[in-house]
Amino acid sequence: MSEKTFYQEFEVFSKRTHAASFQHQFDLLAPNEDMALMMAQENFMRREPVVDIWVVNKKNIRSMDEEERLSLSRLDNKDYRTTKGYGYLRKKWRKYEQEMLDEKEILSWAGGKEK
Amino acid sequence: MVMMTAMTADEKMEYFMERIESGEKIQADDWMPEEYRQTLIKLISMHGISEIMGALPEKEWVPKAPSLYRKLGIMAKVQDEMGHGQLLLRVAEDLMKPYGKTRGDIMQDLFNEDLKFHNVFHMETKTWADAGLIGWLVDGAAIITQTNMLDASYGPYAKALQRICAEEVFHAQHGESIIMALAEGTEEQKAMVQDALNRWWPALLMFFGPPSKATTGASKQEATIKYRIRKNTNEELRQSFLDKYIPRILSLSLTIPDATLHFNQEKKHWVYQQPDWSEFKEIIKNNGPKSQARLNLRRSSYENNAWVREALSAIVE
Repeated sequence: MSEKTFYQEFEVFSKRTHAASFQHQFDLLAPNEDMALMMAQENFMRREPVVDIWVVNKKNIRSMDEEERLSLSRLDNKDYRTTKGYGYLRKKWRKYEQEMLDEKEILSWAGGKEK
Repeated sequence: MVMMTAMTADEKMEYFMERIESGEKIQADDWMPEEYRQTLIKLISMHGISEIMGALPEKEWVPKAPSLYRKLGIMAKVQDEMGHGQLLLRVAEDLMKPYGKTRGDIMQDLFNEDLKFHNVFHMETKTWADAGLIGWLVDGAAIITQTNMLDASYGPYAKALQRICAEEVFHAQHGESIIMALAEGTEEQKAMVQDALNRWWPALLMFFGPPSKATTGASKQEATIKYRIRKNTNEELRQSFLDKYIPRILSLSLTIPDATLHFNQEKKHWVYQQPDWSEFKEIIKNNGPKSQARLNLRRSSYENNAWVREALSAIVE
């Protein structure tokens, strides 16, 4: 089915800083991608800082329906998959007089080795 | 797992009410009762179109703003109002999809006068004090009704309101800044604010709608509360506006044009002179002082820009 229209739906994503992830903002109507980009800036980025914008025609998004979304609810125990399931190691390491290398510690290594 | 397709109408309704009562947010393509959809469409398309019509009385003051700073401020506000209109119309359009209606239909409904806009935007703006008063008190009133729906059961509306309310805070302060400057100014400037307040007071009371169906024959407040779209009744919202703004208005040495206005300590509410609700009915039927002039401005700009829509229309598969 094809029809001639001025109104196409675009979803708008943007990021506030270069390090940030793209975040969904809202959607808008525009006749094409270029207009959608301009409208996105006018509609949603009049004040907040922004370094990049994506617009995606809604027809290119495979979204979930109500029933599919229901299948996402997690009922099973995922402890084996997360650090939460291994918290007991802290106590064990203490026995060996060692600190546990937990998430906080490991991510702090981003600073690199002191020279 | 819940199987929506296998449910009877009653089961769907029960499941829907359970969801909204537990604070879940309904999404655009979720099953919803017809009354809920209709209530939302009416509310949100009226809200959206009011934002757009509301930009008109304020835009009249862009060329007449008293300084460059004030001009930039009011231009930003007018642009925000149009932006709010865009957000809200998107939300309304998604709800109208099952009826095959689009933005074009919303505009036609406005022009045919089937779709109404808010009473305050049918009024004249006579002086710069009106521009300030709209920001301070009309946006103040709008903040009361809109924050009351921030937790609305319909997710996309709540999301739009979140953005809108954040900007309304700027609008209110922009209005306060204009009013403060005038209220601390010359005798003539003070008189200008008082005159604006005298003219706008009844419209501000009307803003929240009639206390009950009995006044004007129709009110959506029961349905909006039942479906957790908003929390309070029209009268509760009006009282909360009076609570917040009467002390502020009086602190600027302004007089509220209602000799009967007082706070009943026992009942903990404001007693005030009811506005003329028959006038309200006329105004929202597009028989207000500026209703037709503003509708005509919209109609002609829509017609004048038809060639742009025509030129940019594309074939969509």
